[in-house]
Amino acid sequence: MQKTTLLKIVSLLSLVALILPSILFLAGRMELTTVKWVMLAATVVWFVAATPWMWKQSG
Amino acid sequence: MTAEQQSQQTQSGSEFEREPVPQSKRLGFKSFVGMYAGEHTAGTELMIGPLFVAAGVSAFDVVVGLIAGNVLAVLSWVFLCAPIATRARLTLYYQLEKICGRKLVTLYNLANGVMFCFLAGAMVTVSATALGVWFKFPMPELSDRYPNSVGWVLAVLACGAMISVVAAYGYEIVSKVANIAAPWMVLVFIAFGLVGLGQFIDATGTQIDSLADVWTLAQTSIWKGGDPLPDRIKFTFWHVMFFAWFCNMAMHIGMSDLSVLRFAKKTWYAIASGTGMFLGHFLAWLAASILYAFQLHQDPANTKVLPGPLTYQAAGLTGLLCVIVAGWTTANPTIYRAGLAFQAIIPKSSRFRVTMITGAIATIAAMFPALAMKLLEFVALYGLILMPMGAVVFMDFWVIPKLGLRGSYAELSGRSFNWAAGAAWIVTLAVCLGIVFVVGSWTLYFVALPGWFIASGVYLGLSRVYQRQALPSLARQQISPGAAEA
Repeated sequence: MQKTTLLKIVSLLSLVALILPSILFLAGRMELTTVKWVMLAATVVWFVAATPWMWKQSG
Repeated sequence: MTAEQQSQQTQSGSEFEREPVPQSKRLGFKSFVGMYAGEHTAGTELMIGPLFVAAGVSAFDVVVGLIAGNVLAVLSWVFLCAPIATRARLTLYYQLEKICGRKLVTLYNLANGVMFCFLAGAMVTVSATALGVWFKFPMPELSDRYPNSVGWVLAVLACGAMISVVAAYGYEIVSKVANIAAPWMVLVFIAFGLVGLGQFIDATGTQIDSLADVWTLAQTSIWKGGDPLPDRIKFTFWHVMFFAWFCNMAMHIGMSDLSVLRFAKKTWYAIASGTGMFLGHFLAWLAASILYAFQLHQDPANTKVLPGPLTYQAAGLTGLLCVIVAGWTTANPTIYRAGLAFQAIIPKSSRFRVTMITGAIATIAAMFPALAMKLLEFVALYGLILMPMGAVVFMDFWVIPKLGLRGSYAELSGRSFNWAAGAAWIVTLAVCLGIVFVVGSWTLYFVALPGWFIASGVYLGLSRVYQRQALPSLARQQISPGAAEA
């Protein structure tokens, strides 16, 4: 149960990390290359963290 | 279990295929929110947004037109489809069979299956453009109709084969992957728009101090209006509004979503379709169109609409992954549904074989870029072809009993082909397509509106004549059970 909660928090944070770089880029606070790398990292974290609990949920 | 899973289970014949959904199996509002949001944020959104720009749309027309059209689409789900779905609680196929008879439903299934095949083909095309970024083969131009390189054909073959095999073997796994990818995909789509907007601000040197400045940038640099690209129809507010309203016409006015919404506890749950409309058919379309407008801003000669390169320049590998996942997760259920439609025609054929053949047809269609590059026209045609049967269901449910006629006439009379419904379908399509060919191809986006009234009128008028002619056999049918009891 605790592990699932932790994974849900990490998943949520990864979604924040996914969208935040594009907002910072729009505000002129981040380079596009950095945006792309952060989005890729957030993508990996999302699929790793969300798959275990969402897989069960959608079953 | 989500509404979509319920619906798919039903379509596969395992549950409530020929009976109303019982109260215990009805679903809450949340199930429909997720289902609609996921279903309408698809790979094809990355084609549709850019094609608006290619059609020379202006900022006001695209933004306000999409809001108006999407609101109309949601209202169509709420007031046309859901009230019947939550009263009858039957699949569209079973409801149509009761009204039209088995033979006419077979024809409907054939049309539905063919349209699903081509739609899946467009999704395979979208996925294949991502491979072009890696393997650098020549990809189709906006005006291309035929495959233009061996690399393109091989890329489509690879994507199509993978999607077909997975659809045939492991559909449930893809469904789960789609659920997991949905929140991520929606945010990546939004990120495309934000990055594209940022790129425009940088490239034009615009100073943004307020929302009014963003709107000015949108009007002067992104959606500038003016002439469309060669061979494209100019899109005005009306084109955008009707396109947004009718692009899912098969589902709301065409009643295809009876199969989904019959699981809803309340009629108003259909308002959940708003998540799909405003995430997929508003934010995603606008985001994709910003990326394409930026490509044109950088190089006006580069008019290619290729989701792979477009998203790669904005979001790198995440963008490419989004194109592949969006294309894959939406092509799979589409191929699966097309397979189901075909299998309903030949019930003894194996699901695996039918899905593979369906996938092969979709893959061959995907090799021809004309399908994806003319996606706006195809989507409008798709809705138009399936819409008349929605009008028939609507009239049969609400109006026919008030005229003293019999609803579900094929079931009552034992007929396998209700000519009133069949003629409503054929006459409507003949009139609407006649208008498109005679008046001009621009009318394709609008004819479905008068078409609905034509289909309704023809069905009501012919039902009066047809049921009167067939009354003796109906009377016999009605008398015999009573006689048997006596």
